Amino acid sequence: MLRAFIWFVLLSGGLAFGAQAQNVEFSKDQFAEKKQELKEALRELKAGDEAYQADPANYNAALPHYLAAQELNPDNAALNVKIGDCYLHSGTKSAALPFLKRAQALAPASTPRQHYLLARALHLNAKWAEAIKEYQQCTPGSSTKLAEGEAPITASDVANRIRECRNGQELAKHPVRVFIDNAGPEVNSPYSDYGPVVSADEATLLFTSRRPGGPNAPKDPNGDSYFEDIYQTAWAGKNWRPAATLGSPVNTDGHDATVGLAPDGQRLLVYVDKNNGDIYESGLKGTAWDKPQRLGARINSRYHESSAAYSYDGRYLYFVSDKPEGGHGGHDIYKVELDGTKPAENLGTTINTPYGEEAVFVMPDGKTMYFSSEGHNSMGGYDIFKSTLRNGQWTTPENLGWPINTPDDDVFFVASASGRHGYYSSDRPGGVGGKDIYRITFLGPEKPPLLSEESQLLASRLAPQPQTLLAPPVAVATAQVTILKGTVTDAASRQPLEANIDLIDNASGQTIATFHSNATSGKYLVSLPSGTNYGIVVRQEGYLFHSENFDLPATAAYAEVVKDVLLKKLEVGVVIVLNNIFFDTGKATLRPESTAELERLHKLLTEQPAIKLEMAGHTDNVGKPAANQDLSQRRAQAVVAYLTEHGIAASRLTAAGYGDTRPVVPNTTKGGRQLNRRTEFKVTGK
Amino acid sequence: MPQHATLLTWGLWAAALLSATAAQAQVDTVRASTLPGRQVAEKAYNAGLTSFTAQNYAAALASFDQALVEKPDFAPAYANRAATQLALKNYPAAVADYDQALKLEPGAYAHYFGRAQAREAAGKAPEAEADYGEALRVNPAYAPAWYNRGVLRFEKGEYTAALTDFDGAVKADPAFTYAYHDRASTNLRLGNYAAAVPDYSRALELQPALLPALLNRAAAERHTGQLAEALRDYDAYLTQKTDNPIAYNNRGNARFEHKDYAGAVADYDRAIALKAAYAYAWNNRAAAELKLEHYAKADADATEALRLNPRYAEAFLNRGHAREMLRRADEACQDWHHAAALGLAVGNDYAAAAGCAGPAAEEATAE
Repeated sequence: MLRAFIWFVLLSGGLAFGAQAQNVEFSKDQFAEKKQELKEALRELKAGDEAYQADPANYNAALPHYLAAQELNPDNAALNVKIGDCYLHSGTKSAALPFLKRAQALAPASTPRQHYLLARALHLNAKWAEAIKEYQQCTPGSSTKLAEGEAPITASDVANRIRECRNGQELAKHPVRVFIDNAGPEVNSPYSDYGPVVSADEATLLFTSRRPGGPNAPKDPNGDSYFEDIYQTAWAGKNWRPAATLGSPVNTDGHDATVGLAPDGQRLLVYVDKNNGDIYESGLKGTAWDKPQRLGARINSRYHESSAAYSYDGRYLYFVSDKPEGGHGGHDIYKVELDGTKPAENLGTTINTPYGEEAVFVMPDGKTMYFSSEGHNSMGGYDIFKSTLRNGQWTTPENLGWPINTPDDDVFFVASASGRHGYYSSDRPGGVGGKDIYRITFLGPEKPPLLSEESQLLASRLAPQPQTLLAPPVAVATAQVTILKGTVTDAASRQPLEANIDLIDNASGQTIATFHSNATSGKYLVSLPSGTNYGIVVRQEGYLFHSENFDLPATAAYAEVVKDVLLKKLEVGVVIVLNNIFFDTGKATLRPESTAELERLHKLLTEQPAIKLEMAGHTDNVGKPAANQDLSQRRAQAVVAYLTEHGIAASRLTAAGYGDTRPVVPNTTKGGRQLNRRTEFKVTGK
Repeated sequence: MPQHATLLTWGLWAAALLSATAAQAQVDTVRASTLPGRQVAEKAYNAGLTSFTAQNYAAALASFDQALVEKPDFAPAYANRAATQLALKNYPAAVADYDQALKLEPGAYAHYFGRAQAREAAGKAPEAEADYGEALRVNPAYAPAWYNRGVLRFEKGEYTAALTDFDGAVKADPAFTYAYHDRASTNLRLGNYAAAVPDYSRALELQPALLPALLNRAAAERHTGQLAEALRDYDAYLTQKTDNPIAYNNRGNARFEHKDYAGAVADYDRAIALKAAYAYAWNNRAAAELKLEHYAKADADATEALRLNPRYAEAFLNRGHAREMLRRADEACQDWHHAAALGLAVGNDYAAAAGCAGPAAEEATAE
């Protein structure tokens, strides 16, 4: 139950928030409790409508009545549209937007006029994209008017407004860098102040104001302001001195407005609302301006001449007129030589457009012109443009850009001779009231900030790498020698023997040296420098010789070998290993290094003619036994063959191959297998 | 000499040697064979090399000294003692030993190279450059001599000559990482940014741990408009090394160029956190704050940069910009004039355009 209640509350709330605002009529039903207030509001509505529906409409008069009625009922769509419309025709056009938006929320626009009004408000508030969308919904018919007495809104008007919005979108992307400062209460008043003109040095400022010229000043019957008068002020270093009216004879009971000031500040161009609007000139005599004189017929016509400016040298006058002959549409800018006779010359289509051009100003440099135009790439109403004289031709005007220009009218721009400052009037938030005069400080293109950084560009400076070139080591001969030492004894008695120890170079078969073991101790020591295949033969008379082999390569390091030698006497059954007999690997071919050993054997057989020997061959256990046996047999026979070939009777020699059957040490190591691969003889008779 | 004679000689010598101990020795038949001479100098020399390799330079020096006492014309001992003196930063002694080595072995490129190193270390760059040249005259294939001379020329600002040397180094040793790196840096200085990028890349291929190449390649890429690649390189660097304020500062600049001003500020923040006295980072953050239209912050940062370096022209200029926007026109004018007085002539242009009075007469100092 509780859950159902919560859902109900939530849904109810959601519906309430999501519902569109309701249009509220000014009716007794709606305001049953506020009958008196309703009566008053209806009275205000009626008064407002009278002014609003007049021909021409008096928006300024209608607006306060409508706002009064709005206090009772802010939710009436029609009233909100009217208030918006009044604002759009006032000096504060941008204020229209919230009313028109509210009207849209209360009752969506259904007529081209409503769409157009909302689009204009959006446009004037620089809501470019929304404005375009709203303009696009406005398809005006022949009777679509903003008000009675005004020209119908055409499709061309709408297209032009859309173009202005697109210009605004582009220009707003690149705002110009300026300070725009209100000239302050010394210059501006709660009434509209506009049309500033300034001397080249910015010391003097004259402008037009709609403020009351005095306690009994008459109001302009065409609005709630007073007649235009010209005011003057001077720069005091930090701000302007309080402005004062020029008074008579410049200011009259009618409209008197500033138009232009000579660069030297000695001549003033004044707009006077006579003859449909003409340009007059006043000169400064001492501290007083003399009575303005109407400029000649080459300038003033029966049409509207609205503004003018002197050339830098005072010879020429640029002025604006809407005279149709020679014009390009609306007001155009003309140039005339003041003391000449030629008629004024239209500045041509580079400057003048089918729309209005206004408020011309020429810089003291003589080649920069500012003016306002509704054409070119205006973002709405009049925008201020700049053109430069190059080779006698004015360049394509350049929009001064956002935020100097706005969607509303931006006119009456003048600049100081330095170009650093400009002055114009604008209706923007924060003003003193109505249009105000603003000073623009041009900051120029953005001043790029400067960055700093450092680099670590040299690798070796950052991470040095050693590059020491050292001379290489020198060769130092080291003791590459094998020390062979031991004891020679009688194999049977173990008594020390003084034996001869022959050191033989097996490669050459030459005996290098013969040493002797100590007669008492039997000890011997022989140094064997590396790099030789040594045969060592220990011999003593009455004993069979004993041979050892030391094959020492050149790289052999120092070593000590202890070898005790047991010399055996010549007896049947004695076995002697012949360590210096060498065969080619796997073959029974005797190598030349065997010669010395074979010769010793041959000598033994020669010196002992009775002895008989069995030559025995042995192998290790690597390979097949039969093959080992065969190889050992053939090797034994090779030794026998050598001896018989050298004169020993074959009857004294036998050859036996034992293969791997009689190892002297286990075959488990490389060294062991080497010892087992041997050739030996056994004394079989003597 | 025949072998038997040698044996005999040594045999006699050995017998004589052992006779002194005959009372103890029971061996009366001893034959020594080819025992070498004492070779004291050579042994000391080799011991010196061993000590040098072990970076025990004092021991190395003693050994080479001994070698030269034993053999005063031992050129390699002079050369290696020179190298030891160099390692010990005794540069004049190193030069003297290389001189001696060159007297004994005229034209040895290694001695020229070593002397060049000693002279370079002693701050005598012109003499060092000449010695590297001599080394190259003798051995044009010795890449380090090309490289080292290139470095000296780079530091003198002779970038074209340096480029030639780094070319020589790369030609002599196509795997010479530093030569590729520094050739790239030279091209960077010469404005040949496109040529710099591949050389930095090659250096990184050869030695991926050569992280500065990432920073420098990024700088080259920024100049060639490859901002995305540059940012990638900075990121790669900072992923591997996070304590280098320069890297943060430079990535900040890249982000600034990329119009990522908030990102740039974050990098300058890091740089300042790592090195509070890093004036560049303060100045650059001021620049980024200007872009963000935080003019008061920009003013404060530039002021800090100027406190750290009172003659920092860029900081004066940037502070001038900030103060212009803060509507402090007179102070802006002063800052621009100060920047101009410190060499940034554009400061006077800005001042003139802003309608400032004439340039400051006194020398610029921070306020």
